[in-house]
Amino acid sequence: MSQIRVLSPVAAASSGGVNVPRIPGSLAGLTVGFIDNRKANFDLLADEIGAILSAEHGVKTVIRRRKANAATPAAPEILAGLAKDCDVVFAGSAD
Amino acid sequence: MFQGLAQSELRALGVSGLPMVTIEHPLGGERSEGVTRRARQAVDQIARLLSQETGAAEVSRATIPTTTTPDFITVTDSPEALLAAFCERQWCDGLPIVPPTEDRVRAMLGGADRDRPLGVMPPLWRVATLEKLAVNAVMAGCEPAAFPLIVAAVEAMLDPSFNLYGVQATTHSVAPLLIVHGPIAAELGVHSGSGCFGPGFRANATIGRAIRLILMNVGGAWPGRHDMSTQGSPAKFSYCIAERADSPWGPLHEDNVVTVYGGEPPHNVNDHVSTTAAGILATVADTAVSLGSNVGWYFSQSQLLVVLGPEHARTIADDGLSRADIQRFVFEHARLPLRILKLGGMWGIHDWPRWMHAVTDDEALLPQVPSPEDVMVIVAGGPGKHSSVVPNCTFSRAVSRPIRPL
Repeated sequence: MSQIRVLSPVAAASSGGVNVPRIPGSLAGLTVGFIDNRKANFDLLADEIGAILSAEHGVKTVIRRRKANAATPAAPEILAGLAKDCDVVFAGSAD
Repeated sequence: MFQGLAQSELRALGVSGLPMVTIEHPLGGERSEGVTRRARQAVDQIARLLSQETGAAEVSRATIPTTTTPDFITVTDSPEALLAAFCERQWCDGLPIVPPTEDRVRAMLGGADRDRPLGVMPPLWRVATLEKLAVNAVMAGCEPAAFPLIVAAVEAMLDPSFNLYGVQATTHSVAPLLIVHGPIAAELGVHSGSGCFGPGFRANATIGRAIRLILMNVGGAWPGRHDMSTQGSPAKFSYCIAERADSPWGPLHEDNVVTVYGGEPPHNVNDHVSTTAAGILATVADTAVSLGSNVGWYFSQSQLLVVLGPEHARTIADDGLSRADIQRFVFEHARLPLRILKLGGMWGIHDWPRWMHAVTDDEALLPQVPSPEDVMVIVAGGPGKHSSVVPNCTFSRAVSRPIRPL
């Protein structure tokens, strides 16, 4: 049977790239932030993680900021504030 | 289960070496001991990341391999072989396709610049060129005359207020509903009469299908991997109608326009007995509210689409109500008391304005949408005593775009 050539429907990835900064070797004395994605229980989870990190890893301060709701990105002012105040930030994702 | 989406998106964006901490799914619905267990899981991983910092830093500067797809493939010239080849590559929705040959794609483009980009489409942030839209439109079985409509719909979906990332990646069942307005609907054969949400009409079926194929192949929203909808929806195959131009209130748009609306499948409004606008609209309003709907929880972006059947529309119009009156009636009556809202749904993680949070009276009836203007009203369908309500997903706003020659 003969052959047919058909075009791919899959689009190309956009270009660009981001290198993530080196993470610290210790959290002692640092400020850790959480972006609360507003999914159920994330607030409790972040608070518990923060408490353990303070007790066991010497974290100085824990900051948790909540998005307006789960389905929209964090507001720029939340991101800017965390970037300014924190050494390490955990962003909550999914359910 | 969401790890794949995160990893694919990082790869697509070229983000190299971002450490991830994962916990058991689900977190929602867990009691305190389950949350505590997951917190410990997270901290243990964080501790490992810190201790491996040197190695992690090396990884973070390594180049992430990118996946590439060929510009074309060569397959045996038979419908069965073509379908098998596309299904195997996860390039189609599972239904037979028209072969996207160079000649057909060129005809679909109609002379438009094939390399013209409309933007990048989430969740994998791939470039939506006219050529890729045309390939998918050919596969769906579209006629070239429909291509400007498809392009306008994609432009509308890429408007930030539509929040296509949320629409594509959510666990909700949302699909973009295309509503075609203006004379072009009849010219293209987009059906607005009996059974308009269903099968039998090539333009509705293929234009809606083209949009879905574009969302899958250009955006990369594959079910269970990057489209995280828990159950999906039949509306994700194809979701395209026209509004009736003979609506008692006139169409929503006189000109050639397409509206994209991030909606659930239609919810039936059955009212065989009401002889007044109040009766029919009370049934509409009751259908529009339920504890399980997304609408009302993320308040600022909640919208309702009311699609009146022509018989219901005539009864309402004969009572002298305008479109604005209908919007006001539904806004005022599509409400639930606070005591019901406290029972489940998204209580506790809802996003309400301050005044609604301040309400303490359990019998207070709270609105589902911010204003009457957030109730859209169109007429579609044929004879019969049915209408429908299409709740939106509440993290996306309807967007309209003019349909113009390319």
